[in-house]
Amino acid sequence: MAIADAGVLYGLLAVGAGLATGLAGIGAGVGEQGIGAAVVGVVAEEPGFLGKGLFLMLLPETLIIFGLAVSLILMFAWTPFASLVAAP
Amino acid sequence: MPVLRLPKFGKPVKYAYITGRVRAMKTKLIPGEMYPRMMAMDTSEIARYLEETQYKDEIDALSKEYSGVELIEHATFANLAKTFRKLSEVSIDEPSFLILEFLRRWDVWNIKTLLRGKFAGVSDTEIVKYLVPAGELSAEYLDELAKKDSIQDIISAFDGTDYASALAQYDGKNLASVENALDKLYYFRMERAVGGTLSVGGGLLLKFVRREIDIRNLITLFRMNKAGVDAAVIQENIIPGGKLHDELSRMAGQPFGEFLRSLEGYPFWSSISDIATADIDAVSRIEARLKAYLIRYAWALSNYHPLSILPVLGYMVSKETEVANIRKIVRGKEAGLPAELIEEQVVVA
Repeated sequence: MAIADAGVLYGLLAVGAGLATGLAGIGAGVGEQGIGAAVVGVVAEEPGFLGKGLFLMLLPETLIIFGLAVSLILMFAWTPFASLVAAP
Repeated sequence: MPVLRLPKFGKPVKYAYITGRVRAMKTKLIPGEMYPRMMAMDTSEIARYLEETQYKDEIDALSKEYSGVELIEHATFANLAKTFRKLSEVSIDEPSFLILEFLRRWDVWNIKTLLRGKFAGVSDTEIVKYLVPAGELSAEYLDELAKKDSIQDIISAFDGTDYASALAQYDGKNLASVENALDKLYYFRMERAVGGTLSVGGGLLLKFVRREIDIRNLITLFRMNKAGVDAAVIQENIIPGGKLHDELSRMAGQPFGEFLRSLEGYPFWSSISDIATADIDAVSRIEARLKAYLIRYAWALSNYHPLSILPVLGYMVSKETEVANIRKIVRGKEAGLPAELIEEQVVVA
């Protein structure tokens, strides 16, 4: 395979890695908007709920970690093209 | 060209804040097991207990002016108005619109109180005490209305508003027809404001209100059928718009035993079946059970639609009932009613 093609493939890999983290972030944001609003509502009435509320609000954040893990694997661990890119 | 209309993204999210807030507020309501204990207290003890609850500010503020039963009555009304006003102030968009639409019932209540007060020739300061400025009409505007000299002046102040048509029915002799017209107007306006929209929230509000109308009509039927009132008179007092309107209006004027048999099989039957017998002497017990059923219905329905107007409605009905319960206990004790009689009237969902 030509070096240029390998470069394109590697580029697509990088785009995929970006999408993995980016889309996970957007999804977590959508999930958090409702929880965040509800938590602010409850805390307005009962300030003692803040700790529990923050924990609940951060639950969807775990999804980003999955996305980030996929990105890191794509970029650094899963390198079927690495030899091609590195090849002269 | 047909336009593809996507559902508005994130719509239930508009309800997240207000439902979170009312669910927290619900935990501050007086628990059902407190009522029997309140019945064993005297008035000053009840006032002291209320000072430990959400009524603290009002009790503190009004304790200089009033004492005893008066203090509790005014403090609970003031707190009710403050709480409901807060709900409409802290919400936006669709929830705010629906809450205001629901709270217009307090406008109707206030107009009725004003008319009744003027009709009985009560002084304006006395009338103002019984107003609950929780709806659209502000406390200042209601004060102004209370200062007017006659019923006609109050009625003409509403010229050009929706209330004018209902208030025009005042014939100078009795208020019953005006009060009925106001009730009907309230439900008619709600249908008009909400029925046209395709929004889920509006539909749920209507669903609840239809059930509420049914329960109110049912209470009317219980009272009037028991008293053996003429079917035509009952028909006049039935509020249109309920889900079971046709069925219920057919039951008007039935002999009591037959009326009870025809209720079997309806969803509310299980909550009254053990006390609804042909020889029941007081209908108030059935009323309390039916009101409790309505509260449970609102909260049960809100489990299916957690992010909707239903938890807010459930809270508003629960709060209204709580205030009514406290007043019943306090007034009942003052009048020296036996504890069992008061207990029958207290609504515990």
